[in-house]
Amino acid sequence: MNLLTQPVAIQGIGCVGAFGRGAAAFVEAMQRGTTAPQYHDDLHGDGSAYFPAFLATTDGLDDYVPKRALRRLDHYSRLALLGGCLALDDAGISADQRDRIGVIVASGYGASATTFGFLDSVLDDGDHCASPTAFSNSVHNVAGAYLSMQLGIHGPNLTLSQFEMSVSAAIYNAVCWLQQGRVDTVLVGGVDEHCAVLNYCYRRYFAEEIEPQRIEPFAFNRQTAIPGEGAAFLVLSRDPKKSRYGYIDAICAGHVEQRAESVIQRSPILLGADGHRNSGQWYQRCVGNPKTSCSAVYGSLPSGQAFDLVAAALMVRDQQCHAACDRIEEAAQIRQITSIKCASDGQFGAVRVSRWSGKGR
Amino acid sequence: MTTKEKLKQILVEDLNLEDITPEEIEDDEPLFGEGLGLDSLDAVELVVLVQKHFGVEIKDMEEGRPALQSINTLAAFIEDKQE
Repeated sequence: MNLLTQPVAIQGIGCVGAFGRGAAAFVEAMQRGTTAPQYHDDLHGDGSAYFPAFLATTDGLDDYVPKRALRRLDHYSRLALLGGCLALDDAGISADQRDRIGVIVASGYGASATTFGFLDSVLDDGDHCASPTAFSNSVHNVAGAYLSMQLGIHGPNLTLSQFEMSVSAAIYNAVCWLQQGRVDTVLVGGVDEHCAVLNYCYRRYFAEEIEPQRIEPFAFNRQTAIPGEGAAFLVLSRDPKKSRYGYIDAICAGHVEQRAESVIQRSPILLGADGHRNSGQWYQRCVGNPKTSCSAVYGSLPSGQAFDLVAAALMVRDQQCHAACDRIEEAAQIRQITSIKCASDGQFGAVRVSRWSGKGR
Repeated sequence: MTTKEKLKQILVEDLNLEDITPEEIEDDEPLFGEGLGLDSLDAVELVVLVQKHFGVEIKDMEEGRPALQSINTLAAFIEDKQE
C-alpha cells in the first residue's frame, strides 16, 4: 500500500440502496447479512421480469431539494443527489459553507435507463422528436452537474467512469485535490442504476447459470451476482480535526499479478466481490482466504466500492465488523480496514481506512 | 379531449410539474416567468412535444415567441396550423 503523507479525514457519509437510506439502515442490513432482491414487472415492455435486482427508491429527496427543482432529474441523478445530500448533512456542512468543496462522481454505467430511453425515442419518433431534456440527462456527468447546481457547490466537478475501477480512481483524484490544496473538502462517491436493458443482459449473459437467490461473495468460482443500484458518498476533508469516521491513509492500484502482495497485510480486508465469477478468481489470488464483504446488501454494480468505503468508515467508527465475516478474528475490534475492488481483467483498486492518522498507523 | 386540455396534460406529465394538476392551469396564464414558471429549457422541450403530439412544427423564434405565451395562444397556433 502507498501510505499518504497527509491522510484525509472522513467527515461524513451518505448512502441509498435497496436496503434503504442512511447509515443506520445500511448497518442494520449488513448485520442482517442481506437485502431481499425484487422483481419489477414494469421493467419490460412485455411485462416480464427477467432477473431479480436490488432496487432503490429516492423517497425523501424533497426533504433536501424543492420538488419543483427535481422535475428534470431522472432516477440516476436523484440517487446521486440523495446520496450527496445525506453525506453533506451527515458532515454538518450547511448551504453557506460550500465555498471550497469539490465534487467527484464515479459511475460504471452512467444514466443507463435514460440513455436507452432516449435512443428508443429516436428509433420510435425520429431524431426531430427526441427530448432535449432526455439527451442532457443521458450524459455521464449529469449527476455531478446536478449535485453542484442543486447544492450550490462552486468548486471543481469531475465524473470518472472506469467501470469497476471508477471509485478507486475517484478517491485517488479526491486525495490529489486535497493534498494540492485545490479544495478543502471533496464530496466523492459512486452511483449506478439498474434498467430494463441491464436486466435483459443479465438474463442473456447468464442464461446457463442457476438463478441466484442471494449473492455469495466468497463463492469465487460461482456466478451469484444479482444487479443492484444506488449511490454512496463520502465527505473528505483536509482538516484532520474534522474526522468523524477515521482517515483514508493509504491507496494502491495495479494488476493483481504484479502487486497482489502489496495489499496482503494484517488489517482486515473488505472484498468488493459481488458474485461475478470473472472477477472472483482475482479476489482469490489477491487475498487468499476470504475476509469480509457486504455486497449481498447493496448488490452487484460497478461502483459498489463506494458502498464498501462507507461500510469501512462505519466499521472504523464503531470499531466493529458489521458485515458477515468467516473468521472469528475479523469480528475483533476494527481499527483499520482495506477495501479492495477487482475488475474482470485483474486490475484492482485498494483504499485503506484507519482510525488514526498519526505515526504507527 | 380538446387541444387545450391535451396541452395542459402534456405540460404536467411530460415536463413533470408534480406540484400542479392540469385543471389548475389557467388558459391565459403566462407559461414562462411569473406565470407557470417554465424556463428556456422547457421552451425547447415544448417545441419537440408539440411536434410529437400534434404534428405541428414551430420553426423559429418568430413563430415560437407569440405561440408560447399561454395555453390560449399555443392552442390557437396548433389549431391554425392543423387546418
